[in-house]
Amino acid sequence: MKEEKLEKLLTELADATTEPVSPGLAEAIKHQIPQPLMPSKSSTGTINIIIDLRINRLAAAAIIIVTTALFLNFLGSRDSPNDGLYKESKLLIKYCLGVGDSGRSNLLNDFEQHLINRGTEVVCYGDSIPPDDSHALLMHWKLADGKYKVIFGNYREETVTAEELIELQAQMLQKK
Amino acid sequence: MYYQQIYLFMRRLGHSRQVSEDLTQESFIQAWQHIGQLREAKSLSGWLYRIAANISKLYWRRHKLKKAVSLEEFDVPGNRQSEPDNLEHSEQLTLLKKAVAQLPMKFRQVLTLHYLQHLTIAEAAEAAGIRQGTFKSRLNRAVTALKNQIVAESGE
Repeated sequence: MKEEKLEKLLTELADATTEPVSPGLAEAIKHQIPQPLMPSKSSTGTINIIIDLRINRLAAAAIIIVTTALFLNFLGSRDSPNDGLYKESKLLIKYCLGVGDSGRSNLLNDFEQHLINRGTEVVCYGDSIPPDDSHALLMHWKLADGKYKVIFGNYREETVTAEELIELQAQMLQKK
Repeated sequence: MYYQQIYLFMRRLGHSRQVSEDLTQESFIQAWQHIGQLREAKSLSGWLYRIAANISKLYWRRHKLKKAVSLEEFDVPGNRQSEPDNLEHSEQLTLLKKAVAQLPMKFRQVLTLHYLQHLTIAEAAEAAGIRQGTFKSRLNRAVTALKNQIVAESGE
């Protein structure tokens, strides 16, 4: 058998070996996904993913894209590219890439409100912090053990002591 | 949709329907847990398949005595060609199915990734966890092995 014909037959074999997938499989997969990682239609859910996973902004952007793509593609969601999840992801990517100040401001406000609703006393340093500034403080809040969680302009996060937080704040003031 | 593709991939690697469903679920759970390792969204397909391929390999290692399901056991409604001029074509496909099923898993995998799952060489190489040059070489050897197997099958 000639190689060309064999390759053609192999490609046809794909159709010959296609079978319907059990309808419950998608649901079964969805139930296995940990709830905190489920993309939600609110911005706070998206930012929560970033914070919970403790990753830098570019990786976060990639994860949001993939998360959205995975859910919309592999589970056959009815969301269209113009709806919630895609919009949210694009907005977040714009923020991460330093484009679109209004989106960034909305995200920060939403996240701040989310933390406040959770009973966390959060301090925001305003949305004038450049998104690529890895040393400028974006926000901070106190943890149960007395230390502080700080988020920098590039979404990098660290856990610091009170003294270290004061040092970071002093550095920011000196730059101004 | 990805979950359908991964399921069919598992079936074409010789797993039964139930096992294929289980391994598909496992693939996506692993994907979620290791999603931070994904470098670029555009390589999602190859990355997912790689996870699936590793899970399949692990399954076969744990279940060495289990027999791979032949591609002939695929229940494909409407695949029977009744007209005489399609009979030869149908027989060729049947022969091909048998031959693929007899190949070593290494060859069956590369053939499945590229020809049956329609992955590009780049995606398929990533899925197989090897460089593109190595993948092409293995694919060529797989096609040669397949041709020899077809000759052996048709001679029976």
